[in-house]
Amino acid sequence: MIAMTHAGYVAAGWIGAGVLIGGYAVTLVRRGRRLARQVPPGERRWS
Amino acid sequence: MTTTLPPRPAPGAARDEADAARPATTASPATRVLGAAALVATALLVLYGLVISPADREMADSVRLMYIHVPAATYLYVGCFFTTVASAMWLRRRTPGWDALAEAGAEIALVFSIITLGTGSLWGRPTWGTYWTWDARLTSTAVLTAMLVGYLALRRLELDPAARSTRAAVLGLLLVPNVIVVNRSVEWWRSLHQGSTLVKLDPSIEGTMLVALMVGFVAFGLIFAWLMVHRFRVAWLDQKADGLDLEAALAARRAESRAPTAPETEVTP
Amino acid sequence: MWRDAALVAGRDLRIEARSRVTVHQVAPFALLVLVLFAFALDPARSILERATPGLYWITVLFSALLALSRSAALDETAGARDALRLSGLDPSGVFVGKSLAVAAELVVLEILLGVGVIVLYGAEPAGVGLLAATCLAATVAVAATGTLYGALVSGLRVRETLLPLLLLPVLAPVLIGATRAFEAALGRAPADGWPWCGLLAAFAVLYSVAGALAYGTLLEGS
Repeated sequence: MIAMTHAGYVAAGWIGAGVLIGGYAVTLVRRGRRLARQVPPGERRWS
Repeated sequence: MTTTLPPRPAPGAARDEADAARPATTASPATRVLGAAALVATALLVLYGLVISPADREMADSVRLMYIHVPAATYLYVGCFFTTVASAMWLRRRTPGWDALAEAGAEIALVFSIITLGTGSLWGRPTWGTYWTWDARLTSTAVLTAMLVGYLALRRLELDPAARSTRAAVLGLLLVPNVIVVNRSVEWWRSLHQGSTLVKLDPSIEGTMLVALMVGFVAFGLIFAWLMVHRFRVAWLDQKADGLDLEAALAARRAESRAPTAPETEVTP
Repeated sequence: MWRDAALVAGRDLRIEARSRVTVHQVAPFALLVLVLFAFALDPARSILERATPGLYWITVLFSALLALSRSAALDETAGARDALRLSGLDPSGVFVGKSLAVAAELVVLEILLGVGVIVLYGAEPAGVGLLAATCLAATVAVAATGTLYGALVSGLRVRETLLPLLLLPVLAPVLIGATRAFEAALGRAPADGWPWCGLLAAFAVLYSVAGALAYGTLLEGS
C-alpha cells in the first residue's frame, strides 16, 4: 500500500473523509446526550 | 379493626419508572445495530478500496478516491431529497417530525458535499494537474454547498419557531428544483468547452473495482442512515428543549405574579 | 389578482419616486462597480472588452441585491406588515406587484449600464433583439426570485447578509445564461444565444409561479 502512486492524495482523501464523518458523528452523539439530559425521559421514546 | 390496603400505585407509574430508566442519549438498539453494520461495511470498504482492488490503467491509484467521491455525491443528493420532501410535508401537515427531518437531511448533505468536493479536487490534482477544473459536477456541487450553507444559516435564526420553520420549509422545498436547474445549466455551459464531467467512471468497470464501488455505496448508505437517525433525534430533542425553556420562562413569570409578598410597586422585568 | 398587483406595484414605485433611492444610490453604485472593474482589469489589455457580458451581468446582480433588499424592507415595519395582511389583498397579487416594481427599476438600471459599457468599455451593440429579450427574461427571473427570497429574509436583522447568500447561488443559472446570450449577441461566441434566452424565460416562469404560490404562506407565517 505504501508503494501506491499518488499516495499522498489518496491518503489525504480517505483520512480527511474519515475524520470529517467521525468527528461529525462524535459531536452529534455528544449533542444528543446533552439534549437528552435536559428533556424529560418521556419524550425519548426510542431506547 | 380496619386493615389498610397498601396504596395502589398511581396510574402510569409503571410507565414512569420505565421512562426514568431510559438512558439520556439519542442511541437505541436499532442505531447500535446500524452503527455496527456501518463500521463493518467501512472496514470492508477500506479493504477493497485500498488493498484488494487494483490501480486504474489511466488514473493509477487516484481512482481509489472515487470509491469515496461517488457514494458521497450520491448520498448528498439523497439528503437534499429528504430535505425537500420533508419541507413539503411540513407545509402540509405541520407536524414537528417533518421539520426535524428537513433539518437533518440538509446538515448531513452538507457534510457529504464537503467530502465530495474534497475528494474531487484531490483526485483532480494528480490527474489534471490542478485542484479545480470547473468540471460540471464539481462546480454544481460547489453551488449546492452554498445553498445548503444558506439553508442552515436560515434555520439558526432567532425567530419565532413556527415562522422560522415555515421560512425554512419554503427554502427547503425549493432546494431540489434549484439543484436540478443549476446542474442542468452548468452541464450545458461546460459542455461548450469540454465533456460534461471529467469524472466518468468507465461503465464497463468490472471485477474488484466494481465490488469496491458497491461496497462504498453500502458503507456510505449505512453511515448516512445512522447519521440521519441521530441528527433527526437531536433536532427532535432540540425542539422539545426549546419548548421546555419557553414553559419554564412562562411558569417563572406566573410564579412572580402570584408571589404573596409582592411589593406594592410593580416591578417591570 | 392583477388589480392587487397593480396596486402594490404602484405603491412601491411611488415610494421609490418619492425617495429616489434607486436613482440616487443604486444607479451610482452600479456605475461605480463598472469603474472598479476597469481598475481591477486594466483597460490597456483587452480583458475588459472580452469580459464585458460577464461584468455587465455581475453588476446587474449586485445592484439587484440592493434593490431587492430595499423592496423587502418596505414591508418590514410592523404597521406595513399588518396592513398588508388585513387589507385582504391577494398575496399572489402582492408578490407580482412587488416583482414588477423591482423589475421596472432593474430595467432602468440595465439600460443605464448598457450605456455605461458602451461608453466605458467600448462595447459595440449588435444583435439588439437578442440583447433586449435576454434583458427582459433575466430581469423577470431576478425580480421574481429575489422578491420570493426577500420575503424569506424580511424582518430579520441579518437580512442584508443573508439575502446574497441565499439568492446568488440560486441565480447562478441566470448569470450563466444571460452572459452566454450576450456573448452570442455581441458576436463573441460561435454558439447560438437564443436557447440560453429560452432558459432564462423558463427560469422566470418557474419562479414567478413559485413565488405567487408561496408568498401567501410566507406572509401568514411571519
